[in-house]
Amino acid sequence: MKRISVDHLARVEGNGGISATIDGNTITEVKFTINEGPRLIERLTVGRTPEEDVSMSPRICAICSISHKNAVIRAMENALSVKVPPKVTLLRELMHMGEMIESHSLHVYYLALPDYVGFPNAIAMASKYKLEVEIALEMKNFGNHIMKVIGGRYIHGENPVIGGFGKFPTQEELAWIKSRAIQFMPFVFKTVNLFCELDYPDCPEDETVYACCDPGDDKYGYWGDEILLSTGEKFYRDDYKGLTNEFVVSHSYAKHSRYKGKPYSVGALARVNVIGERLKKESGKIYKKYFNNRWKRNPLFHNAAQALEILYSFERIPELVDEILQYKEDPPIVKYNKKEGIGTGLVEAPRGLLIHHHEIKEGLVHHVDIITPTAQNAEDIERYCYIAAQKFLDEGKEDQIRDRMDLVVRAFDPCISCSAHMAEVKRAPSEDWKNKMNELMKGGSPIFIGVGNPDQSDDGAGVQLALELRKHKNIDVLLESDIEEDENLWKNDTVRPLIFLDTVDFKEKPGKVALLPLNYVLNNATLSHRFLPIVSGLMTYRQLKNAYMLGIQPESIDNGHEISTPVRKAMNDVLTKLLN
Amino acid sequence: MNNNKPKIGIYELTGCAGDALLILDCENELLDIFQAADIQSFLMAKSDNIDGDLDVALVEGSVTTEREIEELKDIRNRAKIVVAIGLCATVGGLQARFTDPKEWKENLKKVYGDVEMTHTKAVRSKPIDAYINVDFYLPGCPISKDQFLNFFTRLVGGSPPEKYPHPVCVSCKYNENDCLLNRGLPCLGPLTADGCGSVCINHNLPCVGCWGPVEGANLTSEFYLLKDKGFDAEYIKKIIANYSGTKITTFFDQLKKEKP
Repeated sequence: MKRISVDHLARVEGNGGISATIDGNTITEVKFTINEGPRLIERLTVGRTPEEDVSMSPRICAICSISHKNAVIRAMENALSVKVPPKVTLLRELMHMGEMIESHSLHVYYLALPDYVGFPNAIAMASKYKLEVEIALEMKNFGNHIMKVIGGRYIHGENPVIGGFGKFPTQEELAWIKSRAIQFMPFVFKTVNLFCELDYPDCPEDETVYACCDPGDDKYGYWGDEILLSTGEKFYRDDYKGLTNEFVVSHSYAKHSRYKGKPYSVGALARVNVIGERLKKESGKIYKKYFNNRWKRNPLFHNAAQALEILYSFERIPELVDEILQYKEDPPIVKYNKKEGIGTGLVEAPRGLLIHHHEIKEGLVHHVDIITPTAQNAEDIERYCYIAAQKFLDEGKEDQIRDRMDLVVRAFDPCISCSAHMAEVKRAPSEDWKNKMNELMKGGSPIFIGVGNPDQSDDGAGVQLALELRKHKNIDVLLESDIEEDENLWKNDTVRPLIFLDTVDFKEKPGKVALLPLNYVLNNATLSHRFLPIVSGLMTYRQLKNAYMLGIQPESIDNGHEISTPVRKAMNDVLTKLLN
Repeated sequence: MNNNKPKIGIYELTGCAGDALLILDCENELLDIFQAADIQSFLMAKSDNIDGDLDVALVEGSVTTEREIEELKDIRNRAKIVVAIGLCATVGGLQARFTDPKEWKENLKKVYGDVEMTHTKAVRSKPIDAYINVDFYLPGCPISKDQFLNFFTRLVGGSPPEKYPHPVCVSCKYNENDCLLNRGLPCLGPLTADGCGSVCINHNLPCVGCWGPVEGANLTSEFYLLKDKGFDAEYIKKIIANYSGTKITTFFDQLKKEKP
């Protein structure tokens, strides 16, 4: 038995991690895990007043605390029909710019850049890039300053409330913010050029669906009442579930999301892909100069997109301050009488679409649903890591898998605590599929589906296995042909695992067996099969998440009806395992 | 590496990471912090982390999984001084509010359904002193920069940190604010540990209590004062409970005993 464990850095467990399991020449598992325990924030605010909810629910995340604050306030004001004066909306937007600048500059300079210039952290990087490190800190500090002036504190400021602000910043404070923003412009241009011109590796690259808020009026921005997808589809704020379809996975306390059974991405790269064409002025010029097809397929360009948004935010600040200063009077907090209501607030947090849905009954919070960007990105993070890992494995560069997965996860800027090195690569023991099968059986007895062409020698193995299994009454077995006749055969069963039986070319010795998620077969051109994309298109996201391929490496798929000796041996092995 | 520098580790359990982020938010002092001490582990800031013996461990976040219990005990074994930083580590955080185990289980099920978690088992949220001895507490949601830098400087210099034994009202008076209780607003300043510099009241908003209860606070007096102002008893209990974590039980015991 071969068991190679690529040793990882001491603190891999941390608060989150990503791991890949290799069985022979195949990646059989990639898991993005949040090890933080459950906090049940959505339940904590139930029974509280809307004001308490606005104070409490942003405590989910310090790094996006302003985004959470704006999202919950938008949800509450929608639920309680509160209309705020323009000065309030403009100040909220300015506050949001502060968070974008703070979070993006921290991410691009402190968390991402050290990887690209070969340092373990930004403090060490300061030995060579002292000026960049220091000015980036100043820039981050400026973002924090904006949040403090308007929100009341760097993190979890209580000044923004339903209906307005406890206290408004003075004209002097606002004028200072404007002039400081203008002073930063040379460094901002340096930043955007630096990150747009970084040499991003071309692995992993693959298409995905991008989603973000539509700010309306053909404008770029960080909130809106509709979700816009790169496919052109739209969802009104209250219909957000049409996009998110959250579900729980057993390996993480962060829920995952899929759109029409497929992973999608949110964040700066999503915004630039979906509404980047709307950028005007200098950020519009930079967009035209650098945006290309690689931005549509490569998650590492999140870093470039964030730098572009730093520029957009800096350009927006003087405009916002000028508009705010037109309103001399500080409006009082808008009162409301409504005691019932349902409201959704959509906001773009630095790392992507953030959805707050709050329901009020008899003046108290009745139900809360919060969908965070990282939960939505989790599936794409796993998918892109899988693509990179499998590609490196194919190219014999197993030793580089861990670092690349690190780079991919960090590009998504999941949240700072997950952004330190945290990838792990492990070799599965031989015959690992048997252990995995045991795990799967715990989730209910599976439905087996035999796939393949019996006229092409070893490709008949899947169907033959299915026919053998069918002799046993207690096992549910379907054939490819059954599904072609009636596609609803298995559709009602949403809980039991689906296991496809087929020959799969893993580039291994004939007879090698592996059990891997069906997704991986679909994502991998060399493994895929004409029938599977059709079937998977019919599946719900839950079913797809619970669907697997038990594949056998064929010796030959030439015309004929003979099954080769190693494949026959593997089939017997599978039968013995499944019938015991 | 200068070995005379104190070895410090900064750790995050379950929470919003706000206290670790606040340390990174000390932009002007950050390079100094890294020079004054030998920062052995700080997951948020660096990747070359070492788990060895420490002079000081700063722990943020509450304990919510079995894995975190083990991790915390390991930190205690390695560190001469353990400091709880932030509301979650000091009182268990917002998430510690479900003091009734049955209620906690029901809520866990409501959020995560029936899926059995394979990676680590969840436990009810508790502050870190439920499992280990804690030498110092630095409360706040999140901790304040001034308080942290003051604390850190003394610790690195080898002096015991100063305590803040007074409620928010002390800062509030220095800041010459109008008392919001007099205006009929449900301000929790008198019950809450100071350190924020009365930031909410400075913004004309009542204190929500996010530093957690101050030692020796007169709960009974505040409770009946708010009742006199016309607030419902259940509402008062709820707002006090929001940021008091597991320390709230002793708080309410006091209320029962002192009922006039």
